[in-house]
Amino acid sequence: MRRIAGFFLAQLKRVCRLLQVQMGVSLMICSCAGVLAAVLVAQGAGEGQQRYRIGLVGDVSGSYLGFGFAALQTMDDSRLMIELLEMTETEAEAALAQGELTAVVRVPDDFLDAIIYGDNDTCVTYSAAAGQTQLGYTVMGEIADVASTLVTASQSAIYGMQRALYENGRADRVSAETDKFNLMLINLVLSRSGFSEVEILGYAEGLSLEAYYFCRIVLLLPLLAGLSGGVFFLYRKNALAGMLKAGGVGALSQIVGEYLAYLGFLCAGFLLPVFLLAQGLERALISLPEWEGVGAAPFLALLPAFFMATAMFAALQFFLYELADGIVNGLMLQLFVGAGMAYLAGYFYPSAFFPQRLRSVGAFLPSGAAARLVEGSFLERSAQGAGVAVIVWLAVFLLLAAVVRQRRILRG
Amino acid sequence: MSICRTIGERAVRMAQEMRTKMTVEVQGIRKAYGKKQVLTDASFFAESGQCVGILGGNGSGKSTLLSILSGVRRADGGSFFYGETELLHHLGRISDVLGYVPQADPLMEELSAWDNLRMWHDKATLERELAGGALAFLGIDGFLKTPVRKLSGGMRKRLSLACAMASRPGILVLDEPSAALDLVCKENIIRCLTAYKEAGGIILLTTHDVWDLSLCDKCLILKEGSLHAYEYDGDVHKLAEAL
Repeated sequence: MRRIAGFFLAQLKRVCRLLQVQMGVSLMICSCAGVLAAVLVAQGAGEGQQRYRIGLVGDVSGSYLGFGFAALQTMDDSRLMIELLEMTETEAEAALAQGELTAVVRVPDDFLDAIIYGDNDTCVTYSAAAGQTQLGYTVMGEIADVASTLVTASQSAIYGMQRALYENGRADRVSAETDKFNLMLINLVLSRSGFSEVEILGYAEGLSLEAYYFCRIVLLLPLLAGLSGGVFFLYRKNALAGMLKAGGVGALSQIVGEYLAYLGFLCAGFLLPVFLLAQGLERALISLPEWEGVGAAPFLALLPAFFMATAMFAALQFFLYELADGIVNGLMLQLFVGAGMAYLAGYFYPSAFFPQRLRSVGAFLPSGAAARLVEGSFLERSAQGAGVAVIVWLAVFLLLAAVVRQRRILRG
Repeated sequence: MSICRTIGERAVRMAQEMRTKMTVEVQGIRKAYGKKQVLTDASFFAESGQCVGILGGNGSGKSTLLSILSGVRRADGGSFFYGETELLHHLGRISDVLGYVPQADPLMEELSAWDNLRMWHDKATLERELAGGALAFLGIDGFLKTPVRKLSGGMRKRLSLACAMASRPGILVLDEPSAALDLVCKENIIRCLTAYKEAGGIILLTTHDVWDLSLCDKCLILKEGSLHAYEYDGDVHKLAEAL
């Protein structure tokens, strides 16, 4: 027992010696994260002011379709985001190639007739620059809205009304009634967003996008901390493991002693980022919809869940370094396993967009269990299942590490 | 050599304090890896003040035998008595009576020599042993505060020995103690171990180096799983043939 305590104390001394390295790495990570955040905020602000330029090819003048586009450009909310530019096919292709346009919408000559006569063979086509397909779908949706509300239904109604007035000898009222219908139509188009109410469920069972990424990015830090933690395993020696075993310190005791020191090593490195995040929240430099105006208190209440997740990630990293021969192999393993787990558990991209089967796998993984635990804590709801999963993963990784250590001792 | 100037008197003082006339009796140790029988009947006897050198070709089972005797690996059968105590059935007691020094250095690079020693022993024991006990003749006083990463190969070996010896174990198990050391370092190590032996300790060592044989009172060759006595007369060619 005395030797186990002596071994643990020696590990703590190692942590103290290595602390300056860890603090340096921590400072570097915080600086990089700060620069990245500043760039993202600046980019986000730029995107808010950006207008998408859409080339419109085809003659839509003198028709209700043209009127619809004009309405979009002058009165609709979308005018703040989308700028429609009429041009020829050649001009549009050149502008698209030079990146001056985001997308091109082609309206065939017989498009209007096709809509009026119910012929679906002709349709509006679009081309988008790479990476703008989502926007292309948005534009298509707008065109479809314009076509269906302004052209199909309204034009039929207006022509029908005019025919009815002529047939009943009320030609004097055609002009006034047409104006009235047009006004009704404009009113209808501009208020179309009020027809349905969209309820945003969020990306992780009720979390806002900001909160979702906040939780995942804060978890990403301990998940990938194994890369900076490599210094802890730099001088690992099989000879020491063998001598300890002969001295009565078994593989499991060695692993637990080293693991606790490693966990302390990682946690010491997180003090600065946690302090900076808390300050950012307290001073409202970082704002989440769920925590608006409440300072850093909810974040500090999340720390136990983050600590549990960190403890599990530390066990995973410890196991991976134990498994790998040499520090370079260990670092590679940390990178691939960490990044893979982060991706599958939706750390880089909301998991709500993944297929259900992949989401189930992601939720089962250690990274997914940690995310469920932290998000449950964030929403102040019970996350016992995730908590148990995190503890089970931690125990599994430590036991596996002890098995590998035992093999290393015997290998000599 | 200054570090060994007072070895004689210190060894005498240490011998007075250490237990005298203890014996080691190893009988019929067996070990197989799958179908491969590495040790079939490893037996030998040693008593206080003796050094037993175990020689053998690569893969002959020397390290396996040492790892069994030091409690790292379990034997399939056989016994290992230290005095009246059978150690293979009381593995927890092995660490009380035996000090093991592996071939590669088992030191923590980030820590000082003193911190490495403190991992194994309490402060009072170390101060006592450094002042004139088991560690005095290792000559490590001069670099106790030096980080291990700055120590030479010889210093590291002496420090490794110190980690194993400070509690004055009755048996010292060494895996190739002078491997990869220069002649001066080898000589220092041999003198230190001689002092330990003279103080009544029992040394079991494996080696490929005839230099180490000058320390040995008995030479055993491990061949086909069992130990055979060998009288080394300084003829290395004859020894190579025997292996």
